[in-house]
Amino acid sequence: MAEKQAEAAAVIKTKTTKQMNTIKQLLLSSIILSPFLALSQDASDSIPVYKKRVLESVEVDFLSSLYGQNGDNAAVTGGSGTEQLMDGTATLVISIPLNADDVLTIDAGVSAYTSASSSNINPFDNRKIADNFQASTGASGSDVWTNVTGSYSHSSDDRNDIWSAKLSVSNEYDYFSTGAGGSYTKLFNEKNTELSVHGSVYIDTWRAIYPYELRPFAAGGNGLFNNLFRSNTITGNTNYDPTFSTFDSEGRYSYALGFGFSQILHKNITGSLALDLVQQSGLLSTPFQRVYFADVENSYIQNFQLADDIERLPGSRSKVALGGKLNWYLNEYVVLRSFYRYYFDDWGIQSHTASLEIPVKISSKFTLYPSYRYYDQTAADHFKAYETALSTDLYYTSDYDLSQYSANQFGFGLTYTDIFTNAHIWRFGLKSIDFRFYQYNRNTTFRSSIGTLGFKFVLN
Amino acid sequence: MIKRILSLLVIAFAASACVVVKEYEKVNLNDPDMTLAEKSCNRNLATAHSYREAAVGANGGKTGGGCGCN
Repeated sequence: MAEKQAEAAAVIKTKTTKQMNTIKQLLLSSIILSPFLALSQDASDSIPVYKKRVLESVEVDFLSSLYGQNGDNAAVTGGSGTEQLMDGTATLVISIPLNADDVLTIDAGVSAYTSASSSNINPFDNRKIADNFQASTGASGSDVWTNVTGSYSHSSDDRNDIWSAKLSVSNEYDYFSTGAGGSYTKLFNEKNTELSVHGSVYIDTWRAIYPYELRPFAAGGNGLFNNLFRSNTITGNTNYDPTFSTFDSEGRYSYALGFGFSQILHKNITGSLALDLVQQSGLLSTPFQRVYFADVENSYIQNFQLADDIERLPGSRSKVALGGKLNWYLNEYVVLRSFYRYYFDDWGIQSHTASLEIPVKISSKFTLYPSYRYYDQTAADHFKAYETALSTDLYYTSDYDLSQYSANQFGFGLTYTDIFTNAHIWRFGLKSIDFRFYQYNRNTTFRSSIGTLGFKFVLN
Repeated sequence: MIKRILSLLVIAFAASACVVVKEYEKVNLNDPDMTLAEKSCNRNLATAHSYREAAVGANGGKTGGGCGCN
């Protein structure tokens, strides 16, 4: 019995000794390996460096506007006729943060307009007496423009490099446009200086519509035997016989390259310089804009002057724009926002644009936005006022948007901002409401006004 | 004249490139009204300008594409 107890005690002692040795080995191993384990832990479970998200949460912008214009120099009627136009636009922009660095933005817009001048592509609707200053009820008097743009941006971890790319598609009855572009922005000097480059390409296609009375004179047309001339009496020059041909190619191509430089000048002042270069080629004329020749006798149906031709413009155009902005934080109530641009192109147009906006904070939530903008331009080389183009000219247009003029624009706006987004629609908090109104007057008969209303929501 | 003004602007900006405003000093620069980008609420106004005026670009707006014929 005693022997068995002694054997048992020896076995227990042996086991205990082995366990102790094992524990000692484990402890020793732990001590030896601990620096490496610590390093390993540092590598895999390091304390995450805080990186602010480029966009904290989904943002939704809804923007609507109503635009109206009038004047007496419609390009559709050769520089003499009503320019009355109304346009309503609704745009939805959704910005989605895909992760801390990347943002996807979907931008969709619809614009519906009624245009008195466009309605006169066909002024002979048999309901009213045709007249350059009278809208017709033709189908071309209204249209809907739709646009979808998708863009993607990526920012580097230190937020000093930003890449972006975008694709766009837009369509209206007589025009289809596709576009692609990209940009790169580099910030340095502790984010006091910013350099950027951006480029874009638009490939557009006309579905050309020509003035109604010219169509019978295109190749294969039946000229004066057309029903228009058989059912209406031509007055003035009754021998109406325009030399008219349609455009062979209906593509338009635009290439834009831009450079930007912005600099913080002071803790209250920042400014930027921008250079944009645009090259266009293809069909740059608008196919339904009439021209009346000075050396051809006028022909009329009812009170409407029949076209001698449509505008004919060169197949290429190079544009250069150089602009600068300077923003100055005067005090906690007032900011000055200024802009100047010089523009010229190889069609002979030079232009100056200057604007000043003075945001005035009247409370923590409301800001007023009075503004003034001045614009002037010289005429394009090929611009000919109403009935001054010659049939022997190579190029001509009576589009008064390409004439010499100056314009003054006065604006007023009001913004409501609630940084706490207290008001909600479903899960979206209302961040801001923007209202703007602008009145634009040329030193001609042209006048336009636009009112916009925008809402910004943030997903909570 | 314009070239001189532009040259002066470029020199002024280049000279100021050595100015460094620290992040904690940018509270006024971070005011939404100090942003240099065109405000989104003015995009339809910019579109109207690009349709009615010959000059485009250098303001962060659209520089190509679209008909702009009405």
